[in-house]
Amino acid sequence: MDNKNISIIHPRPSSIVAALYTLRDLNVDVAILHGPPGCSFKHARLLEEDGIHVVTTALDESGFVFGGHDALVNILHKVNDMFHPKLIGVVGTCASMIIGEEMHEPVMEANLDVPVIEVEVHAGYRNNTKGVLFALESALDAGIIDREEFKRQQHLLEEATNVELRHGAASKEYLAPSRGDVKYKVAQRIIELLKEGKRGITIMNAKKETGYMFADITLAVNEVAEQLGKADNIINMANIDQNLGLPRVRHHAECIMKDFEEKGLKVHEIIGGLDEYPITGTTIDQLIQEKYSDYDFAVITGVPHAIPMDHLSDMEIISVTNGPRQVLPLKELGHEHVLVEIDLHPKTLGVNHIVESEFGATLREVAKESL
Amino acid sequence: MNVHKRIAIYGKGGIGKSSTASNVAAACADEGYKVMIIGCDPKSDSSITLLGGKRIPTILDLLRDGVDVKEEDVIFKGYKGVQCVEVGGPEPGIGCAGRGIIVAIQTLKKISKSLNEMDLIIYDVPGDIVCGGFVAPIRKGLVKEAYVLTSGEYMPLYAANNICRGLAKINTPLSGIICNSRSVSREEEIVTKFAAEIGSELMAFIPKEQIVQDCERDGFSVIEKAPDSNIAQIYRKLARAIMERDTSVMPKALDDERLRELTR
Repeated sequence: MDNKNISIIHPRPSSIVAALYTLRDLNVDVAILHGPPGCSFKHARLLEEDGIHVVTTALDESGFVFGGHDALVNILHKVNDMFHPKLIGVVGTCASMIIGEEMHEPVMEANLDVPVIEVEVHAGYRNNTKGVLFALESALDAGIIDREEFKRQQHLLEEATNVELRHGAASKEYLAPSRGDVKYKVAQRIIELLKEGKRGITIMNAKKETGYMFADITLAVNEVAEQLGKADNIINMANIDQNLGLPRVRHHAECIMKDFEEKGLKVHEIIGGLDEYPITGTTIDQLIQEKYSDYDFAVITGVPHAIPMDHLSDMEIISVTNGPRQVLPLKELGHEHVLVEIDLHPKTLGVNHIVESEFGATLREVAKESL
Repeated sequence: MNVHKRIAIYGKGGIGKSSTASNVAAACADEGYKVMIIGCDPKSDSSITLLGGKRIPTILDLLRDGVDVKEEDVIFKGYKGVQCVEVGGPEPGIGCAGRGIIVAIQTLKKISKSLNEMDLIIYDVPGDIVCGGFVAPIRKGLVKEAYVLTSGEYMPLYAANNICRGLAKINTPLSGIICNSRSVSREEEIVTKFAAEIGSELMAFIPKEQIVQDCERDGFSVIEKAPDSNIAQIYRKLARAIMERDTSVMPKALDDERLRELTR
């Protein structure tokens, strides 16, 4: 890939944070950041909302100079007493890794009756998926996951990295953040299409818990179609296979499916698990070619840039992402309308039901006016 | 031959670690052992006398250039097939040499299959363990035992004693003390006593001889350039002792007072 060696200058996700989220998916009760107190604060805070305890060894200038061995031993004891965890994760940071901190020795010394996943990671990797990979490798070593799941995840990560390189945030040296098109206008357009009797596909290709909000757009499109008497004009695809992925990820799929069922929404095509967003493209492309190639429009949510354009190019595409840097690449792919759900992720942490999206709400309101 | 020696040689800077390491490596190669020497000093001169005075590209040089490093890019065959690796590092005063060692050691561990096939691997580490990175070979589980090189002078002994304290701290056994003589008074007696008091023993007394310097100036080890010299015999004896050695101890460092008494 020719963009493999470009020097990207916009800020982007950190591999330390990626390791933290992976530990959460592995259901650790406590994650210890071994490093300075402010490191990864925003995400550490969000993860607390998601139900896990995040603490830091709070290394200071003297910790950088003299090492943080004792600080880590102490905090291991402390969290064990305070939270009685069943599984603990320890995550490196730039500072602790540069000074050569070894996390295994303090873990041995603390000698807790609780398994500890040690992730030696800093934020200096080209692809933040490295953080996920390191966390999974350590989980494999600690016997938390089996080799089969590890291999599966490894493959997904490679594909996720490729998706970003091809049409994602790693595809250009600099991508300016954008809020995308105006939601009101796009809502009007969908209603117009439905009124004209056009047929559409909703494709929810979401990454893990973000599905809680992207699913709301699937719901909204179907609700509006029903109000217009065009319920049969919509086909729904979603990556909510309940048998794939780490336990926590499967649980999200179950919750979303339950909400869909309660609302009477039919998912016509299950296109994979909630962690399979980088590889669902082939399945989707094939399904469209075989069954839906004559449909008129598609509403694609989650990670729309992972889906090949081969059999979509004749349709009018409305895509919804939560990445403000994703707008330009999606427009370049040929998506007519690109919407951004700003700050989606924080709203999908710590929930187990579908959460209202801004676009879903807009669509419902605009539909009311036009009926 | 079913040996699997993984050793590091420590000692005060300038005391002769690289000379000793290359001569021991060469002597073991003469005996038919598969030997590798890994230079962990940013100066990258550990293996130079095994390579006829030539420098080799270092692991960190290649990583800096963004090369997808392969075994054959960083492992070079020197005298009698001794495999030579240099970690390399930044210029003095720039960047972080300690982190460099960590990264290089991780890379080597990942790419090198021959690491496991070696009978002897010698890690030639910088004299002063100034930060966490400098113990990376030990922390990453690559070094199983350490040898400490010293003379009978006070400062090298002081450094050796400190190193012993450090070894105990990082849980690495000491297999012996080697004396690289600087021709000071009562030297063998002092170092023998020091070795005994920290719980170990003196493995070899290498006399100070001009021939070592002459060979190095030409870019060779004594084993290669002056194989029949007296000192070559001493290196061979040391090499055999290291390969046969099966005892090691957790050293007990002396307090400053006792150390000074010893050298008086």
